[in-house]
Amino acid sequence: MKRIPASGRLALLTLLALGSAGAQSSTPSAYTGPKVQLTFLHGFTGADRPVMERLIQQFNAAHPNIQVRGQAQPWGTTWQQLPSLVASGRAPDVVVINEDQITNFIARGAVSPLTDAEMRAAGIDKSRYYGPLFQTANYEGKSYGVPISSVAYVMFYNKDLMQKSGVTKVPTTRAELLRAAQQCTTDTSGKKAGQAGFNKANLSTWGMSLYNNWVGSRLAYAAILQNGGSLVDKSLNASFNTPQAVEAVQFLVDLVQKHGVARANSTEEAELAAFSQGKVCFFPSGQWYTDRFEQQKMNFGVAFVPRIGSQKDAAWGGSSHLTLPRQRAGYDANKRRASLEFMNWMTAPAQNLTWTEAGSLPVSPVVARDKKFEGRPIAGVFEKLGSIYATSGFPWGGQVLAPFDNAWANAYSGKQGVKAALDAGVSEANKQITQARKSFQ
Amino acid sequence: MSLSLPRENVPPRRRRSFENSGLTPYLYLLPFMLLFLVFVVYPVGYGFFVSLHRWDLLAETRPFVGLEYYRNLFDFSTPQAQFFWNSMLNTGFFTVVSVPLLVAVSLGLALLLYRPIFGRSFFRAVFFLPGILTVSVMGILWRWMFDNQIGLVNAVRTDLLGMQPLPFLSTEGLAWVPIVVGTLWWTIGFNMTLYLAALGNISQSLYEAAEIDGATAWPKFRFITWPLLGPVTLFVFVTTVLASFQLFGQTLVITNGGPNRTTQSAIQYITEEAFTNNQFASASAMSFMFGLAMLIFTVLQFRIMARDAREGT
Repeated sequence: MKRIPASGRLALLTLLALGSAGAQSSTPSAYTGPKVQLTFLHGFTGADRPVMERLIQQFNAAHPNIQVRGQAQPWGTTWQQLPSLVASGRAPDVVVINEDQITNFIARGAVSPLTDAEMRAAGIDKSRYYGPLFQTANYEGKSYGVPISSVAYVMFYNKDLMQKSGVTKVPTTRAELLRAAQQCTTDTSGKKAGQAGFNKANLSTWGMSLYNNWVGSRLAYAAILQNGGSLVDKSLNASFNTPQAVEAVQFLVDLVQKHGVARANSTEEAELAAFSQGKVCFFPSGQWYTDRFEQQKMNFGVAFVPRIGSQKDAAWGGSSHLTLPRQRAGYDANKRRASLEFMNWMTAPAQNLTWTEAGSLPVSPVVARDKKFEGRPIAGVFEKLGSIYATSGFPWGGQVLAPFDNAWANAYSGKQGVKAALDAGVSEANKQITQARKSFQ
Repeated sequence: MSLSLPRENVPPRRRRSFENSGLTPYLYLLPFMLLFLVFVVYPVGYGFFVSLHRWDLLAETRPFVGLEYYRNLFDFSTPQAQFFWNSMLNTGFFTVVSVPLLVAVSLGLALLLYRPIFGRSFFRAVFFLPGILTVSVMGILWRWMFDNQIGLVNAVRTDLLGMQPLPFLSTEGLAWVPIVVGTLWWTIGFNMTLYLAALGNISQSLYEAAEIDGATAWPKFRFITWPLLGPVTLFVFVTTVLASFQLFGQTLVITNGGPNRTTQSAIQYITEEAFTNNQFASASAMSFMFGLAMLIFTVLQFRIMARDAREGT
């Protein structure tokens, strides 16, 4: 019980725990009904699979009246199968859905909403999780899932190159980022960015990595959010061409075209290699590269994406949510209660701490404060995990993100001006959304 | 005794009537027929049915919309028409560029490696082995080779030849280079093997006779080898065209269809429409248009090439 924050909900949990706590469980069981068997479908098929299987075993051992049978299969297979499973009334009891798919499945009615009463009864406390992370599975004012796993866009920095370049502070603002990047950027004749005679076509080290794929475009997403913009407007039409968005993306493109501190026309692989080889100070990308740099014994740090915009901190994050698919009429209510119990247990601090071994970030602040993370590079972003936002909340993820990624690639490569690229992307996205809307009527 | 006669006569009569009924070949075909109906005819029919409806398995209703999704493909104000025909053109471009290379280079290799040269088996294996790799391995390999910054090709250009690096992966047009070169490297061995087998079937006596008549290498190739390879060339050509039409994995892994959808193949776009945009009816309609185009092309090709092959032999 020690990891459950001391607050009013402790009393509630204690009440719920009366007579039901499993002998081996650190959290009380809310489910007291007859023995049920649950099917649990998830896409953790890689190195994360054994961790998940271990957790399921622990759950089963601690809950004699609930037996969970986990089934791991590739995410894409699940997205293709889930509609027919739900339509034919054969959906698994619990399914993990990722942030880029979840709103689509919610809007199509594949997932059933979790009522406040149900969540209370199962001990699921929204405030336990990072706010925006929990909201990723919200749609039209209702909650549809509980976050179990998350990844985020961060900024890796090479301490050795920074020191060599005379950068003493990890940049957190737009001005600091530009200044630090200029200090890190040297051409082959030793001139720094901004100096007279600096040749930005022939760099030996440079300030910051930008690149042309979807991961690269997530920095533009962060910048837009930070500037008060968003991908879609209130009516869920694409809106990533607002003045705030254009201003934010323009700053990133200027890092290449105007300031010469980032390479033009680069790929993620090239930037990853450059960062590993100590040729670039700042490499914004997914936190999933942390292990790789640790194994390389690099002298690196992990920071939250600097504040490029003027409104708030923000970075992109991906997440996985435990959801309850829509079931056929007459579905056993005990199974639903048991499923909610499973969702609560699996995302509780003790289990979430175990789950971070699989490469996930903590889903709740109490886990982020665990001693285990002290001194680890990744802990550098923990303070701001509450400012991570998924590309979610609109049912037409593909229709918005593909044009957005393409717009970023065109702006970054200089093929189109920033405004023109974003305008073209929004126009394409909205045409696609028009067609998609018909499917939801 | 009175019963023995019918006993002897009846079975042969029955057998004869069964054989005469002509059912036997159909009974042999029946297992395959069932599989064909279940796994080919039914899905194709179902797919066509889907393409006529606004289709979502989860929706309460799936209204009939007739040919709306087919009409969309000819209404160029829709992204569907724009991107579908763009992807068809890309696929066509790839086919036109890659097929002659895949046929000519494999024939050339087969002619070289048919001769009894030293290390012949080794070289045959060298050209054949890439074909056993999966498309993802092949794709990643060639993406790295042609990477704008860290690729071997650009390293050679800058470090050895003193040229400027070329951003292959992110430049429209240039992005086709790694895809075509990679495909050539990946699939050339299969065609080469077919040609090697066909070369083995040409009687040496023809060449000996030609040599007696004083023929040199080129006439021998022009008047003996090439005509006798006609049937296998037709086969290689048709299968290579069909394989090129089905371009998918290479562009997905090497360029992901970019930059700006300029290397997006038809199948890649159909997959995007179905599984990223969840527009199953629209994707089905595209599949039928794509299938129709392939069918027309294949029939034309067969007609032209089969005639050539007949005339050649």
